[in-house]
Amino acid sequence: MVVSAESLLVSVEGQGTAGDATDEFLRRMLKLPMGDKLLSCIQCGMCSGSCPLGYAMDFTPRKMIAALRAGRVDDLYRSESIWLCVACFNCTYRCPVGVPITDRLIAGLREELLGRGVGVPPELQAAFERTSRYGNPFGESAKKRDAWTKDAGMEVPVLHEGDSAEVLWWVGCFGSYNKRNQKDTVALARILKALDVDFGILGSDERCSGDLRCTSQGEEGLFDVLYQHNAEELAKRKFKEVLVGDPHAYNAFNKEYRRLGTPLDVSHYTQFLAERAADIKRRSKKEITAKVAYHDSCCLGRRNGEYEAPRTLLETVPGVRLVEMPRNRENALCCGGGGGANWLDSYIWQRTRVPLAMQRVQEAAKTGAEILAISCPLEVPRFEDAIKTAGLEGRLQVREISHMLAEAMGLNGGARP
Amino acid sequence: MKIAVVLRQVPDVVEELVISDDGRSLSEDDVMYLTNEADDHALEEALVLKARAGAQVTAVSAGGDEAKEALATAVAKGADEAIHVAVPFEHRGDNARLASVLGPMMKSAGYDLILTGVWAADQMDAGLAGGLATQLSLPYVGGLVSMSLDPNGAHAVVRKEFPGGRLGVLEVSLPAVFGIQSAEQPPRYVPVSKVLAAKKALRVREQGEPPAVAAGVRASKLVKSGSEAKAEMLPGAVPQVAEAIVRILRERGIA
Amino acid sequence: MIPREVVVVAEHVGGLLTDVTLEILAGAYEMARSVGWRVTCLILAEDPKPFQALPLAADRVVVVTDPLLGSPNPAAYARVLPHVVKDLSARLVVLGNTSLGIDLAGALSHDLGAPVVSGCVGLRAEGDRIIATSRLCGGKLLAQVEPPGELGIVLVMPGTFHRELGMRDAVPPLDIRSSPVPLDNLPVRFVELQEPKMGDVDVTKASVLIAAGRGVQSKENLVLLEALAKELGGAVCATRPVVDQGWLPRTRQVGRSGMTVKPRLYLALGVSGAPEHTEGMKASGLIVAVNKDPDAPIFDVAHYGATADLLELVPVLTEKIREAKGTQ
Repeated sequence: MVVSAESLLVSVEGQGTAGDATDEFLRRMLKLPMGDKLLSCIQCGMCSGSCPLGYAMDFTPRKMIAALRAGRVDDLYRSESIWLCVACFNCTYRCPVGVPITDRLIAGLREELLGRGVGVPPELQAAFERTSRYGNPFGESAKKRDAWTKDAGMEVPVLHEGDSAEVLWWVGCFGSYNKRNQKDTVALARILKALDVDFGILGSDERCSGDLRCTSQGEEGLFDVLYQHNAEELAKRKFKEVLVGDPHAYNAFNKEYRRLGTPLDVSHYTQFLAERAADIKRRSKKEITAKVAYHDSCCLGRRNGEYEAPRTLLETVPGVRLVEMPRNRENALCCGGGGGANWLDSYIWQRTRVPLAMQRVQEAAKTGAEILAISCPLEVPRFEDAIKTAGLEGRLQVREISHMLAEAMGLNGGARP
Repeated sequence: MKIAVVLRQVPDVVEELVISDDGRSLSEDDVMYLTNEADDHALEEALVLKARAGAQVTAVSAGGDEAKEALATAVAKGADEAIHVAVPFEHRGDNARLASVLGPMMKSAGYDLILTGVWAADQMDAGLAGGLATQLSLPYVGGLVSMSLDPNGAHAVVRKEFPGGRLGVLEVSLPAVFGIQSAEQPPRYVPVSKVLAAKKALRVREQGEPPAVAAGVRASKLVKSGSEAKAEMLPGAVPQVAEAIVRILRERGIA
Repeated sequence: MIPREVVVVAEHVGGLLTDVTLEILAGAYEMARSVGWRVTCLILAEDPKPFQALPLAADRVVVVTDPLLGSPNPAAYARVLPHVVKDLSARLVVLGNTSLGIDLAGALSHDLGAPVVSGCVGLRAEGDRIIATSRLCGGKLLAQVEPPGELGIVLVMPGTFHRELGMRDAVPPLDIRSSPVPLDNLPVRFVELQEPKMGDVDVTKASVLIAAGRGVQSKENLVLLEALAKELGGAVCATRPVVDQGWLPRTRQVGRSGMTVKPRLYLALGVSGAPEHTEGMKASGLIVAVNKDPDAPIFDVAHYGATADLLELVPVLTEKIREAKGTQ
C-alpha cells in the first residue's frame, strides 16, 4: 500500500492543530530529494529490526513514521531516540521500499531541534561550533591542519592555487589532527611516494568535508558553508582524481558534492591502492603473521558498496590470514561513531546497554583474529578504547590498512615510530 | 523592558598569538577574533530574561567586521536589534574608550538593563561594565550568575559570586548595568543556516565617530607568557609518562 | 620629601581579613619599602573591633566605619572609597582582582580620575614610576603597564604574593574614623551572603586533588578520574567550565569564584590554566599537568607536565599506582 504525499497531508490537516507541526515537517521533507519516499513506508519493521540501537529507542524508525502518519511529530521532537542514531545505514539499506530513513527522517528531525536550540546534546553543539569556526570538530587552528607533514619523514607536496598533480589527496580532519590517526596518514603518504604517485594535498586550505550533515546530523547550513569553501579551493587546483583517506569524506564527495555540482572522480584509498595491488604485493617483503578480521566501515560498505578492495589489499600482505566476522560486508556492525555519535558517546551510553564498539571487538576476538583491520579513521580510537574496556589488550590490536601495508613494504619507522 | 547587551570581540587563543614589531601590541594580520565568552553569557542571560519577561534585546558589538558577524549570530539567537560600533585595531581592548563611546549613545536610548561580561579576555584596564555604569550614573554589580526582575521593573534581585563558592544576594534598583559571570543556562546553539539567514537580512545601525577621550591604559611591553614555561615536561608515550609520574609521586611519598 | 602613600583596600568576611588582602598587603609593603613609600591598610567595616590588634605589614591601619559597611556591598564601597583615598593623598591604590575589587574599578577610576591596571601578577616601583605586569588572553600574554598620572589604581590577582608576608611582628598605629559621606539611598542593598552547601566533598581539605578540565570532554569520563582519585586517597575537583556544564557540583570548583586549595598533589587534567583557575591552586605542593596543548598556560604553574592523551593516560596511571601499592 503506497500512500501518496497529497493524501497524507489532507488527512493530517483534517486533524486540527496537532497535525500542523507534522504537516510542516512533511512539507519540508517533500522538498528534498527522495523526501516523498518517507510516505511509501509499509510498516514492515525491517528498519527497527536491523537498527543496532533499536532496543533502546522509544521510537524506532518504523514507529517514527507511524507517529508522522498520526500527525504527532512533536512526540518525536520530545523523544531522545533521534539522538541515538549512529547513521550506520542499516535501516535505509534494508528498507524494501527505499525510505531514506537516515538521511531524511533522522536528519530532518534533528534539523528542526537544532533550529529551536532545544534538546541538542552540548557535546554535539560544541563539535558543530568548532567545525564552523575552525573547519574541524576538534577546535584546532585551521592553520595547523598540515602540521602532521613535519613528522612524516618525507616531503609531502602541498598544492597551492594554480598548482597541479595527477591525484589530489584529501586527508580529512581525523587523519590530519588526531594523534592516533596521524601515523596512518604518514603511512599512506609513504606508500604513495613508493608507488611514484604524482599527488598533492590542499594543506591548510582543506576544511571538514561536512560529512556531519551527510551522516544525518541536521546541520544543512554548516554543510553548505563547508561545501562552498571546499569546492572553491578544489577549483583553484588542477588534478585528475581525488583520493580520500576517510570514508565519510568519500561519501560526501561521491554523493553530495556530485549532486551539488562538483563532480569529482573520487576513490577511497583502499580502492585506489587495490588497483595497484600487484605492484604493492611485489614490494611487500616484510611479513605480518597474523589472523586478520576486516571491519567493513558503514560509509565505505553499506553506503557505497565497497567490500572487496580492502580485502584485496590485506591479501597482499605476506603472512596475513583473513578471517571473517559473522557480521561482515553489508551486515557489518557499526562502530557507533557515525551521525555525530562520536561526540555523543556518554549520552548514548547512558541510554543503551553495551557500546557498539565493545560488541564489535568482542566479535572480532571470538574469530581468533589478532588484528582488527580498519579503513575508517574514526574506528581507531573507538576500537582501541573498546579493546581496553573489554579487557582484550594484548589479544587484539586495531590497525589501519594503510599502516599494515606500509609495514609490509618496509616504509614504517624512521622519522616517525 | 529594554535590554542592551554589549558583545566585545577578543583574540582567539586557539590561534598562535604573534607580537607585532613594536613589541607592545599584537600583530593585526595574525589575530583572529571571537566573542568574549562572558559577553556570550550576557547575551544568553538577556535572551532568558526576554523569554521570561518579554523584553526587547539590543545587541551592541564593538570591533571590526568580525563584530558584525557576532551581531548576525545574536540576531539569529533572538536579539531584536543590532548596533555596531567600529573600533580601530589599536584601540581594541580599551574598555575606558569604549565606555565613553557607548555612554552617550545609551543615555538617550533608555535601557532598563545593560548587560555585558564582567571580564574580557583581553582587558588590562577597569573593564567595560563599571565604566559604562559610571558614565550613565547607574548602579553596577558584577560577577552575576542569575537574576530575577521585579514585575514592576523597579528592582532586580541578583546573585553575585564570591570566593569559596559563596553567593551574595543583592537587590539593585533599575535601571542598572550588570557584569555577567555566567548565564543561567549555557549559551544556546544556533544553526549555521539561521546565522546566514540573519546575516542576509541584517540591518545594523552604525555608531558614529567617538569623541576624543583619554584612553585606558597602554602596554609598554607585550610578551607571550609561554616563553617562561617552567614545568619539566615528561617525554614519551602514555606508558613512559605514567611511569615517570608514579616515580615522582613515590619520591614524594604521595603514592 | 613626603613619602608616597600606597593605600591597600582590604576585604573581610566574618571579621577576618581575606587571604587575598594579606597577599596584596605583602606585595604593596615590599614595593613600598623598595622606594621608601608608606603603606596604609584601609578597612571599611561596620565594627572596628576585629581589626584593632592585627600585626599587619603596613605603616598604619585606617578603619572607616558605618553600619552599612558590614557587608561587601559594592555600591557602599564605591561611595566611600574615593573620599577616603583623596583624604589619604594616595599615590597608588591596591585592590585584589576579586569579585568586589572588579566591581569597584570603574567607579574608582572615574571618581578619582585615575587609570586602572587589572589582572596584575607583578607590581614594582622605580623612582616615582609604578610598573605593573598584567596577564591577559587566558594567561598567554603578559603586558607591562605603567599607569600614567599622579594616582594609579591596580587590581592584583590572588596568588601573586605570599600571604605570610602580609603580617609582621608589630601592630601598626590604628586610626578609626566614621564614613566621610552618608550611606543613605544606596541603589544596591546587600540582602545576604549564602554559604555553599557542603553536601559532599570538601576539596579544601583533600591532600590529593585530581582536577577535571574541559579536556576531560564528557561527564562519563569522570569515572576514570574518580578511580585514580580513589587509588591516591584524594578527590576530584573541577574548573569552572566543567561545573557550569553540570558535570560536578559547584562545591568542587577550584579557582577565582570557587575554592582555593593547597593539596600536596594537584593533578590537572585537560586544564588550560587560565588565571581564574590557577589563582585557586598555584600554591599546591606538587602540580602535575596533562594537556595536549604544549603552550597551555597551566605549564607555567606546574612542576611537571605532559602532552599525552589524558583519557589514555589516566587508566594506565591508575593501574601503575595500584601495582606500586601492591608491592609495598
